Amino acid sequence: MSEVAAPPSTTTARVNRAAWYAGSVLAAFLVGGIVIVLLGLNPVVAFESVITTSFSTGFGFVETLHKWVPIVLCAYAFTIPLASGKFNIGAEGQLLVGATAGVALGITGSDLPPLLLVPAVLIAGVLGGAVWSGIAAFLMVRFGVNEILSTVLLNFVAFELIDYVASYVWPDRGAGHPATIPVGENAMLPGFGEPAVHAGVLITLLLSVAIGLAMRSTAAGFELRATGANPRAASVHGIRTSRLTAGGMLVGGAVAGLGGAIEVAGVHGNMLEGMQSNFLILGIIVGLMARGNAVAVPFVAFGIAVLEVGASAMQRSAQVPIEVVLIVEALILLFLMLSDVLRSKLGSRS
Amino acid sequence: MNEVVGFLALVIPAMVPFVLAAQGTILSGRAGVFNVSQEGVMVLGASVGFLASFTLGGNTIGLLVAAAAGGLVGLILALATTALRMDQFVVGLALYFATLGLASLLYRVIVGVTLEPPLIELLETYPIPLLSDIPIVGEVLFDQDLVVYFAFALSFGLWWFMYRTSAGLRFRSVGENPKAADSLGVNVFRTRVWATVAGSALVAMGGAYLPMVYTGTFTEGMVAGRGWLVIALAFLGGWRPHYVVAGAAFFAGMDVLALRAQVADIAIPHQFVMMLPYVATLIVMIFAFRWARQPGFLGNNYDRESRLSG
Amino acid sequence: MTEAPRLQMTGIVKTFGPVRALNSVDFEVAPREVHGLLGGNGAGKTTLMNVLYGLYRADAGTIELDGAPVTVASPGDAIAARIGMVHQTFLQIEPYTVLENIVLGTKAARGERFDGPKARAEITELSERFGLEVDLDAVVEDLPVGVRQRVEILKALYRRSRVLILDEPTTNLAPQEVDALFASIRAMVDEDLSVILITHKIRETLGVCDRMTVMREGQRVATVTRAEATAESLAATMIGETPVTDPTDGEEVAAAVVATGLASADEVAAADAGAVSTAPVAVRVTGLRVDNDQRVEQLHGLDLELREGEVLGIAGVSGNGQVELAEAVSGVRPITGGSVRLGDRELAGAATSAWLGAGVVYVPEDRHRDGILPTSSITENLLLGSQRSTRVKSRGLIDWKAARQRAVDTISDFSIRANGPGALAGDLSGGNIQRVILARAFAHHPRFLVLHNPTRGLDLKSTEFVYEQVDAATREGACVLLLSEDLDEVITLSDRVAALYSGRLIGEWTRGQTDHYAIGRAMIGLEAQDV
Repeated sequence: MSEVAAPPSTTTARVNRAAWYAGSVLAAFLVGGIVIVLLGLNPVVAFESVITTSFSTGFGFVETLHKWVPIVLCAYAFTIPLASGKFNIGAEGQLLVGATAGVALGITGSDLPPLLLVPAVLIAGVLGGAVWSGIAAFLMVRFGVNEILSTVLLNFVAFELIDYVASYVWPDRGAGHPATIPVGENAMLPGFGEPAVHAGVLITLLLSVAIGLAMRSTAAGFELRATGANPRAASVHGIRTSRLTAGGMLVGGAVAGLGGAIEVAGVHGNMLEGMQSNFLILGIIVGLMARGNAVAVPFVAFGIAVLEVGASAMQRSAQVPIEVVLIVEALILLFLMLSDVLRSKLGSRS
Repeated sequence: MNEVVGFLALVIPAMVPFVLAAQGTILSGRAGVFNVSQEGVMVLGASVGFLASFTLGGNTIGLLVAAAAGGLVGLILALATTALRMDQFVVGLALYFATLGLASLLYRVIVGVTLEPPLIELLETYPIPLLSDIPIVGEVLFDQDLVVYFAFALSFGLWWFMYRTSAGLRFRSVGENPKAADSLGVNVFRTRVWATVAGSALVAMGGAYLPMVYTGTFTEGMVAGRGWLVIALAFLGGWRPHYVVAGAAFFAGMDVLALRAQVADIAIPHQFVMMLPYVATLIVMIFAFRWARQPGFLGNNYDRESRLSG
Repeated sequence: MTEAPRLQMTGIVKTFGPVRALNSVDFEVAPREVHGLLGGNGAGKTTLMNVLYGLYRADAGTIELDGAPVTVASPGDAIAARIGMVHQTFLQIEPYTVLENIVLGTKAARGERFDGPKARAEITELSERFGLEVDLDAVVEDLPVGVRQRVEILKALYRRSRVLILDEPTTNLAPQEVDALFASIRAMVDEDLSVILITHKIRETLGVCDRMTVMREGQRVATVTRAEATAESLAATMIGETPVTDPTDGEEVAAAVVATGLASADEVAAADAGAVSTAPVAVRVTGLRVDNDQRVEQLHGLDLELREGEVLGIAGVSGNGQVELAEAVSGVRPITGGSVRLGDRELAGAATSAWLGAGVVYVPEDRHRDGILPTSSITENLLLGSQRSTRVKSRGLIDWKAARQRAVDTISDFSIRANGPGALAGDLSGGNIQRVILARAFAHHPRFLVLHNPTRGLDLKSTEFVYEQVDAATREGACVLLLSEDLDEVITLSDRVAALYSGRLIGEWTRGQTDHYAIGRAMIGLEAQDV
């Protein structure tokens, strides 16, 4: 599943692979287009807005970057544990608990100066996410509870948790649906440029570089990947695999929790029901498309962010239901994997 | 006393989605295919089942169409993991996403956005003559809708098939050691395909039951994690049809309890009550993973000519 | 022979990707014949038989049974054609009973419920007739190897096989059990079966076979009758050259004995016996208690000592605590009681990495499962275990450029056949995987080397290579614990031999004093003579 190293690839093999991947993406869009035609709508108009919205206006581009942040972070929340062979399907729960922790600090500490409060909010988010994935990690290492199930179930617990916080602890009665009151001004991430891009984008960018480097060239990153490649061989050779898988899970949750805090302090200014959007699914799709490769994650995530921003525009301009994009994304994933199978079949025949 | 009977009478139908979907999960799992698309397939089943029964009229048709849709998804999973030997978990996840999208898309296209959501008729109860007259037991067990009877009959049938017939012996051998089964002339490919198709159809029926027994409408969140709980249930039940029914009673009990508590005026915020099924499942899993046995080859693809496997 | 041959395979071709595993092979078996299919590892014996049994689909060639052509596209076809096969790794459903395993997929099991009493009576009759005693209601996963093999043979007999293929059936059997198996085989032949015995042990084929076919590199090189064959001529045919070019080269002789079984290991070892070692004790294990994976105690207070430069061989049938012993004394498996001292240092209770750091190096028996990262490159596999050492790092990060260079050097030093350091370990052949594992092991400068079935599945060249490495290590003062299911290997390589039975060490034989029947008795518990 998770390959520790990219297979030895010559330039032609790389071009070959890129061609297959491009073909997979095209095929997914083709199927999506057929669906749109069957709905009696215009696929050209639809896909034009899907692809161009992010680049036609400054607002579109900033919105894309802002979407990119939680998608990248949820993708890391999935791929870091995946490197050790563990599936974290709980990024949305971890993101929400991170957001809860961030909001708690942002509201209660609103008197603190920004220089203190902003980092505190982000750290609270990191810790919140780590606690949430830590529950699953503990159950996994101590009792052998399947991490797929525990992380998923904790999502549902988190939904109720934030509903409670937004309804009873710091409710915003005027919001019309469960939401907290806003965090203090001082808790908000600074923005740059016009239209403003929040600093979370920069943080995510730096974090991506750090994660890529850590996964590739630190002993811990190597041990994580070795555990994923063959846990028995790893432990025979002195790697403490359970400690490592638990660690990967904690870091994954921490990253998702950071995403929650950034959403609060950079985008919404408060916490509200539904703020997790479909970031869990998108993160998994990105992680799987990137084949667990930490370096590829931010790039794939950008592509998905473009599609997501384009999706709402498509619904406005071509009346095509937004779900078509989710289906197209799932199809891209399926076709990518299919292309691997086909490529190796054709390769072994020649 | 009446309170208890009333509670139990509610628990029985609440078991149905769990029972159907968990038996479906077991069916494919026993053949070695670990399906994780349940949550999406149940939503799809709910959507398709609702739409078919709304437009074509009749819950039976709704259930059948939902089963067909689920079977189709199962067919994709089965072919991708047998003929193409793609990773079971990844294909399952992709199908989960795709079915979620498809479910909402179909509802949106056929019903559109309305202020008043359309309603379908809820399932009628069919008291079984004589049996339903037994005090308490009759009220709880034999005054239910037809799908309830179907779910229990199916569970019994599956248990009989797996543990009392030689076809079941062959069937289970595929999930335990496909190479051994293959070497004895059991068709691994065919077994995996039909089990996955039938299993996925049952999962979708479990989803389709929800709008027919509770709300009469379809909403995106109505499955509410049952698809994931069902996987937990399969593990808890050790992939055995009879244990799964017992486990389903526990999950359904939690469901009804949470609903009851929400309506009743109690001091705890309802969110904490709503957490109950999930938290309880987590706690139960702590114990379950110690003793529950799972099929030996669960989640692995079989390649006869592979020189590494075995 | 006027009768039509029982089996006639003609022009069989089988390729795996770029590898041509079978190159137009012809193979013929007469009725009522025990036919040895002889060859080194990788010669294509098992592949040919997997084609016959329908597990592999041949690219070309035909199969005839008793003169009639048959198509075998699946094991189901093979069973219908009355071909039976006992695989080297048993194909059994572990949680099923013996009876369920035997009837699975047969007519007796076709109906609603299988006809228990009838099947039971038939199987009991078969097992009595051929001397294959089993308890039909025992669960297969609880049974020892020897019994599980009988279950496999009964499976084939119950399906009325007229051709029975046995793939390396003597692996893991004590010499006495081998004799019993061969007696059963003779009984089968008397009842009109033809038996194909796949093996790489020449002395076995000489003991039981009527004819032998020798394969090498995917081709049939010779078919001879028992009367024409000698051990030396068969070994030369198997290897393609004189098996031992230099009789004074101990590793070459040992490798030839283990890979072809051409001579008696006892005699070879006796010829090369030196004085008993008086070097200082390097490893002292006392009162070792270890649990198996099911948390049942498997070793009950075991003691052993190794002197510097010494090889201690542990003979035994697998499942008697070999895995537990190997893993416990290499720090991989937790120890529940007792002590393991390397020099003055107590290692019991320390983390695996501490054992590794102290110079305890483990070469596991299951190379794919425990030895390598199959989807990782050779570079990364060679790094495994030393990723935290400062040797491989620059400025706190792993120096991949240097690691790759070291991999390139290792590939040439250890003659690993691969497409460079980036090749995935899982794509290598068994012999090359073992070379990678040994290269990594020796990079740790072992003081105590634990080898578990180190040459299983390897060809002659790789076997010899392993022995040379072991010899080099002992000459530098390392001591070696060798656990092997191949009694010839234990005897030819070890300075001292003990048998492991039921978690206890039984007997001790010094080099030159070994007797493989005596060791065999200890291996199956007939001799309760404690150390």
